[in-house]
Amino acid sequence: MTAIERIRAIPSWQVTLGVALLGLGFLVAAQLASEGPRVRYTTQERSPLVETATQLQAQQEELKRQILDLRTRIGSVEQGEAGSAAVVRDLNSQLQDARIAAGLIPLTGTGIVLQLEDSMEPVKQGANAADYLVGARDLRTVIEELWSAGAEAIAVNGERITPSSAVIDIGPSILLNSAYLSAPYQITALGPKDLYQRLSASPGFVDLIRARAQSFGIRVSFAEPASVDVPAFAGTVTLRYARPAPSPSGGPSPSNGPSASPAG
Amino acid sequence: MTAVAFALGVLVVVQLRTQAGGAAFAGLSSQDLTVLVANLNARNDQLRAEVATLDSELATLGSNQQRGDASIDELRADLRRVRLYAGMDPATGPGLSIVVRGPIDGPGVEDLVNELRNAGAEAIAIDGVRLVPGVVAIGGRGAVTLANEALDDPFEVVAIGAPDKLTGSLTRSGGLIAQLAATQPEVVVEVTPTDDLLVPGTNRDLIPTDGRPRL
Repeated sequence: MTAIERIRAIPSWQVTLGVALLGLGFLVAAQLASEGPRVRYTTQERSPLVETATQLQAQQEELKRQILDLRTRIGSVEQGEAGSAAVVRDLNSQLQDARIAAGLIPLTGTGIVLQLEDSMEPVKQGANAADYLVGARDLRTVIEELWSAGAEAIAVNGERITPSSAVIDIGPSILLNSAYLSAPYQITALGPKDLYQRLSASPGFVDLIRARAQSFGIRVSFAEPASVDVPAFAGTVTLRYARPAPSPSGGPSPSNGPSASPAG
Repeated sequence: MTAVAFALGVLVVVQLRTQAGGAAFAGLSSQDLTVLVANLNARNDQLRAEVATLDSELATLGSNQQRGDASIDELRADLRRVRLYAGMDPATGPGLSIVVRGPIDGPGVEDLVNELRNAGAEAIAIDGVRLVPGVVAIGGRGAVTLANEALDDPFEVVAIGAPDKLTGSLTRSGGLIAQLAATQPEVVVEVTPTDDLLVPGTNRDLIPTDGRPRL
């Protein structure tokens, strides 16, 4: 007997009952699945929890990505800062040198102090009384002779000589920078230890002494203290007409190039 | 047969329900899932705090960098200003070109320079030599040296400043040119106001070797 013959041999009521029982089994299982508090808890609450966990996991991935990105950006900014700190140090060092060169920094070192005083001698008949006073021209000559003798910084009565300093007569007093000075004039010069020897060997200085001290009694004295102090220029360094010109070397450099041999 | 059919129906339904759960956490019990969600929440809060910290660190660094850039710009501007004043850099601007002919003496040249400075000259050069402290013209008539170099005849003085003011101070009656004409009549001074002069920077080292900054 084949399988088909065996199925055909089953009475039709058994087939009907089998199909009915299959439907019943399906219904019982569906009923069981949808019934009871414990069953409902595990089946209806599990799904949102899984969904939440999945979302939180995705958020965590995004947060980790943000952290890595931020650390990378912070690292590159910090590297930039280290670079600019070096730039600031270099600029400050150049600025200090420029200020020293411009006379904006007080200096101390070897040097001499010359003093020029008006004459005590009576004015000879027919002579010019102004010749018996220390004039701007006398001060300028002394300053020029000091530069020639190798002075590196000069001040008169506390006024620093700068690239823009003029020395002019204003009545009986002398205008230097924006200060009115009067006798006695103390000229402080920072320079080599033999500055006075060099100065007194200069024909220009000898001429000045002869023309002013010996002829009119202008009193010139000097001192060589262990060290001299030259004050800083206290005026403005902002120029109104001059602008930086393009430099052939391409701008400020820390070095000034080869220095000229000292005059004198 | 009937039992088989019943069991088959039950299995079909159970399978359908299980597949609806999906995802990686399907194998976890509800209790485990609850703990996992709580852990994830706590961990994500920590990560958010870290992001906030890094965010503010980056913002601070950014503003510091901007401040740093600003102070670098200020330093550069200050450096240009001081170097220009000191005569370390070339300068350009309006002013005077003065040509001097004849046997002038050192004090005559210095008087001219002093007069220009008094009239507000901001940068002066003689035959390409920038006048800075230490550079002086000395010598007798026709034998003037500037920074140890003999001065040519004629030589040119260029001075940056207000051209009218500079011209006025030199050419006024009793002014420098009049004085020179009286004391050194063979010297001829020719003054030309110019809009655009170039005064070179000095090549001297202006840092003293006999002194040091006083604190």
